[in-house]
Amino acid sequence: MKRGFRVGLALLLALLALYPLRATGYGIQVMLQLFMWIALAQSWNLISGLTGYVSFGHVAFFGMGAYTTGILITSLAWPWPAASLAGGVTAMLLALVIGWPCLRLKGPYFAIAMLGLNEVLRVIVSYYEGLTGGGSGLSLPTLYASVPIYYAMGLVAAAVTGLTYVIITSRFGLRLMTIREDEVAAEAMGIDTFRYKLYAFVLSAVAPGIVGGLSARDQGYIEPISVFPLLTTITMIVMVLFGGKGTIWGPVLGAVLLFAFQELVWARFIYLHQLLFGAIIVAVVLLMPRGILGVMQQKYNLPRTI
Amino acid sequence: MNLVITPAMIGQVVISGLLAGSLYAMVALGLGLIFGVMRVLNVAHGPILMLGAYTTFWLFHWFELNPYLSLLVSMPLLFVVGVVIQGTLVRRVVDAPELSSLLLMFGVSIALVNLVQLGFTSDLRSVEYLTGSFLLGPVAFSKSRVIAFAFALVITVGAFLFLQKTRLGKAIRAVSQSREVAQVCGINVQQIHMIAFGVACALAAAGGSLISVMVAIQPEMGQVWTFKSFLVIVLGGAGNYPGALLGGLLLGLVEQLSSLFLTTQVNEAVAYILLVLVLLVRPTGLLKGRAS
Repeated sequence: MKRGFRVGLALLLALLALYPLRATGYGIQVMLQLFMWIALAQSWNLISGLTGYVSFGHVAFFGMGAYTTGILITSLAWPWPAASLAGGVTAMLLALVIGWPCLRLKGPYFAIAMLGLNEVLRVIVSYYEGLTGGGSGLSLPTLYASVPIYYAMGLVAAAVTGLTYVIITSRFGLRLMTIREDEVAAEAMGIDTFRYKLYAFVLSAVAPGIVGGLSARDQGYIEPISVFPLLTTITMIVMVLFGGKGTIWGPVLGAVLLFAFQELVWARFIYLHQLLFGAIIVAVVLLMPRGILGVMQQKYNLPRTI
Repeated sequence: MNLVITPAMIGQVVISGLLAGSLYAMVALGLGLIFGVMRVLNVAHGPILMLGAYTTFWLFHWFELNPYLSLLVSMPLLFVVGVVIQGTLVRRVVDAPELSSLLLMFGVSIALVNLVQLGFTSDLRSVEYLTGSFLLGPVAFSKSRVIAFAFALVITVGAFLFLQKTRLGKAIRAVSQSREVAQVCGINVQQIHMIAFGVACALAAAGGSLISVMVAIQPEMGQVWTFKSFLVIVLGGAGNYPGALLGGLLLGLVEQLSSLFLTTQVNEAVAYILLVLVLLVRPTGLLKGRAS
């Protein structure tokens, strides 16, 4: 079983690596976005799925990365891979600065603080027109690099999934999950909860930062409302919930299923899209809050580290 | 920005702040009521307010009903909507972790906004009813804001009297203090939850009706009110009902002062910094609310 899974996984990765040889431009774009969603969902899972702290403004890190990359490319003419990595770094710094005060907040207060952070970043970015282009956005020089960005995006998605595996199977992961189950008990056992929450939070900001940068490069144009939408945070959350939060493969599964569904719905019912998405959120929350893998874990006695 | 700040400007700012703050207080009281009674953050509070504004708009548009009289329609209507939302959806997540209720209400919120977009389009609408200002010395106040202030004051005071004096209001406060004890005393907790949600939506609807004469009405007008209402209840102390009043007035003042000394665009940033500071220094809010 385990060996079969590994062989299957290796085959799938090989197929994905060879895919650009035969793919159309549209196919590349679709897969690239799927990778982006996997990376985003997986990152949200790192902080919220493992520690239970609901980051309701995780798209802030995505936007931070997008703007860092955009500015570095337009103002300093950095090559895009370096600029995207820099996006990851600034997102980490933002997580450190914001996590320091906000991770002391509990429950809904943390969620509100994160929601507010995203709104404020959007306002600030719109305000400092000299650097960011303000509300009219920032255009990046034209560059056709879909295929390299496809690989970069895939690499980030794979890396953050690998990181989740490493964390969940480590003592660090156990500590995070202890915080989720009972923070007071975790403290009583001698876990420095604040420090571990901060580590998890900072780690969870890296991939959104890089992916935000890659996405900015790929789109060629960024504006405040396109890189800081609350809807993106919600989509990440619903993907994780749908797949199963706190698991390794849940976010991947949720991202694939929801993304596929969105692509199909998006194409057919463009006006009803949001309404249907609202209905999906309500259905997931009410009918299967543990997610697909959560339900399967319960039923079939699967390992905790699935 | 402003090189000279005269006393008249300060007076203007303080009065504008109080006028705006009264509306924040009324709308946030609703959000605070839901949070206090069932520990649910109603992310759809702003969209409910938007529905109130549309109710006023259509009544004005079709029947030329006075926007202030339309409060008599929008408040009961949204009360019923609130009761239905609570009874069908929210009741299932009252005891779940906060992520469930946050997401659920967010789902409701985008569904409502999308429905309104489909039904009424995204066109900007306005109720042209009362324009112009009163002048008092060097200070000017817009008529519609003064009247909105008066209505907000009456409705907020009414809501307080309802919570303080009536049996139902006492039952609501009892449930928000301790659900178990209230249940032991023979209070039907689920019924109280539904009524509290309905009252909260009616308060948001009142806000929507009152601002419909001042701002453009469009499906996404509500979101900013959700965030501001969060701010207000955190400032005042979540679960502390008089605190919402203080928090609302304070937010109005802070916004106006920051637009005087900085610029209007950074309002939200200033308000956010205030929020984080209050959460860190005094997580129970300025008046003592319930700690997280």
